[in-house]
Amino acid sequence: MGQDNDSSAGMSRFEPQKVWDPAIRIWHWMLVFSVVSGWLLGEFRSFSTMQWHIYAGYTTGILILFRIVWGFIGPPPVRFRALAVTPSTLKKYAGKMLRREPSGAAGHNPVGAVSVILMLVLLSVQVLTGLFSEDDALFFDGPLASMVSGSTRTTLTAYHQLSSKAVLIVVLLHISAILFYLLWKRENLVKAMITGWKIVRK
Amino acid sequence: MTKRFKNIFIGILISCASLAALPMAQAADDDAVAQAIKARQAGFRLYSFYAGQLFAMAKGEQEYNADLAATLANNLVAVTELNNGMMWLPESDNTARKGKTRAQPEIWAADSNIGDKAQTLKDAALGLSLVAGDGLDALRGEIGAVGEACDSCHEDYRAEDF
Repeated sequence: MGQDNDSSAGMSRFEPQKVWDPAIRIWHWMLVFSVVSGWLLGEFRSFSTMQWHIYAGYTTGILILFRIVWGFIGPPPVRFRALAVTPSTLKKYAGKMLRREPSGAAGHNPVGAVSVILMLVLLSVQVLTGLFSEDDALFFDGPLASMVSGSTRTTLTAYHQLSSKAVLIVVLLHISAILFYLLWKRENLVKAMITGWKIVRK
Repeated sequence: MTKRFKNIFIGILISCASLAALPMAQAADDDAVAQAIKARQAGFRLYSFYAGQLFAMAKGEQEYNADLAATLANNLVAVTELNNGMMWLPESDNTARKGKTRAQPEIWAADSNIGDKAQTLKDAALGLSLVAGDGLDALRGEIGAVGEACDSCHEDYRAEDF
């Protein structure tokens, strides 16, 4: 290790690898767009834009379905098998998370894997409750709202609003983690999700 | 008194007390506050009935009919013009009457702007009523303000119902 010419001796244990396939990268940025626009159109809703909130929900739902399929047949780093973490791997990674070096994972690190699953579950709840929600001020209903009783609609609408707050928290946490990796661990995860190349431990 | 008899005695006392409380609980279902809550909910049902059809027309889910649209909008205005202040009794919020109303205590707070919200709805309904019979485009142009007036008040003063 000491013999190589890498200017940063610590970095010699790492090498760039193509980790994220094109589909997952396009998927990720489409999801960013659909979730951010859907969230804003829901929070700052108006009669003339409410239909777009519903379209954003459909888009998010289709993207989640794709991610589930890709989790089974996609490349190894995006498979659900790679996202399966045990308390011990999680504990092991959490113990060295504060080190000022990239995680080196050839995909999601264990903490990242947990947040991916959390995000997918939350967004599924968001989309599914939205299908049955009603807006009794702007008089927009989810496409399946008429299939359930009025009180069920009201309840699911309340959960739709509640989980939107959870989505906001998880997205802010996601952005904070990326800033933490960029500023503290000196790893640019945004670039990795654009180019597909990630710093991986040799 | 043995411990056993003491327990039975206490049990009977508790049963009598709960039985005595039962009619009181029923009374609270139909007292002045309960009636006022039901009355104001009737008002909201009217809003929803009139506005709902206007929104359905604006979205193309119900065929536009100029006469009906004008009548619905006029009725909406009529309901907004009722002075229903007497329905908003003290202790008629969703903490005092849990499960009976979604009206939050903030409505009654000193810094409440419920009056402004009501005025906004009044103005929006009036604006809509002036054009509702003039065609679908005219209806679409004004109906958003009504929905947004409803929404802004729900957002601040109506509790989510789980």
